[in-house]
Amino acid sequence: MWLFLVTEVLFFGGVLCAYTAYRIWYPKEFEAGSTALNPLIATINTFLLLSSSFTITLAIRSAYKGEHAGLRLWLVATIVLGTVFLCFKAREYYGDYEEGLVPSQQKTLVDTVDESGKPILKEVSVFAVNLKHVLEEKEGKAKAISDKMTWNERERVQIFFMFYYSMTGLHVLHMIVGLGLLVWQLILAQMGFFRPTERYIYIEVMSLYWHFVDLVWIFLFPLLYMAGIHSVEHLHF
Amino acid sequence: MSDHVQKPIIFEEDHLPPATIGGSTLTFLILAGLACMATLIGFTDLGPAKVWVSLAVACVQGIVLTVFFMDLRHGDKLTWLTAVAALFWTFLLFLFTITDYLTRQFFAF
Repeated sequence: MWLFLVTEVLFFGGVLCAYTAYRIWYPKEFEAGSTALNPLIATINTFLLLSSSFTITLAIRSAYKGEHAGLRLWLVATIVLGTVFLCFKAREYYGDYEEGLVPSQQKTLVDTVDESGKPILKEVSVFAVNLKHVLEEKEGKAKAISDKMTWNERERVQIFFMFYYSMTGLHVLHMIVGLGLLVWQLILAQMGFFRPTERYIYIEVMSLYWHFVDLVWIFLFPLLYMAGIHSVEHLHF
Repeated sequence: MSDHVQKPIIFEEDHLPPATIGGSTLTFLILAGLACMATLIGFTDLGPAKVWVSLAVACVQGIVLTVFFMDLRHGDKLTWLTAVAALFWTFLLFLFTITDYLTRQFFAF
C-alpha cells in the first residue's frame, strides 16, 4: 500500500506543481477565485474527514480486539462521515453552478469605459460577469478585490476554477473508491472474517488509503479555499 | 516424501497492536486543533505570508497524520524509505518544474 501511495503522492504532486506555477503567475486571479468559494462548507468538510480518520483507527482497534459490534459501528461511522462529506461537496458544486462560476466560452456585452474614460460596449465572458457579481455580493474586501480587477483579469480567474474543479474532482473520485473499500470491509466484518488479533491488518492497510485521502484534503483546504479573503459575516451554505 | 508444511500467510500477521483509544483521541484532538488554526489563518488577512503560514500548518498536520494515524512511527526501514522517497521525488518534481517556469523570459499571456 505504501508503494501505491507513492504513486498517488506523485499524481497529486503533478497537479499541485502546475497549480503552483500558475499561482505564481496570477496571484491576483487566484486570490479572487478563492474569495468567491464557500469557506463554510470546506471547513465543515475538513472536520468531517478528520473525524473519519479517527473513527477508522477505532475500527482497527475493534478488529484487533475481536469486538465485532464495535468494528461494524466504527466502519459505519466512517462511511457515514465520508458520505456526508460528499453530500456537502455536491451542495457546494451546485452552489458554484448556480452562481455561474463554471469556466465556459460564453460571451456577453457589458457597459464599460475605455482608456480615455469614454463609455463603450465590451464583449466579455459570462464567467467574468458572474464572478464580479459574486464578489460584489460578498461586499467589503471581496468587493474591493473585484473593483481593482480588469475584465481580462476576471476572465483569467477561470484558470483557478479549472484547478479547483479538477483537484476537488480527483479528490472526490478517490473518496468514492475509499467508500467502496469501506463497504467491502463492512461486508467482510458482517461475515465474521476478522478474528481477534488476526486479519485486522486488512483494515489497517485500507485505512492507509483513507488517511491519504484526508492528507490530500489537508493541503487542498488552504490552497484552494483559504487563498482568498473571507469574512465571518458572509458565511452561508 | 516429506510432510508438506503450510507457510503462514505473512500478510495477515502484524505483531504490533494498534494504537490505543487514548492515543488515537489525542492525535485527533491535535489534528482538529491544527484545523482550527488553519481556518483562523484563512479568515485573517496576513498578506503574502498567508500562504506560507497555511502551508506550514498543513505540513504539521500531514506529519501528525502520517506518523500517528498511518502508524509510520512503527514502520520498518522499507516503509520509511518509501515515505521519504515519495517526498524526495515530489521535491524534485517541484524543483525542476518551478525552476524552469520561473526562469523563463516571458509569461504565458
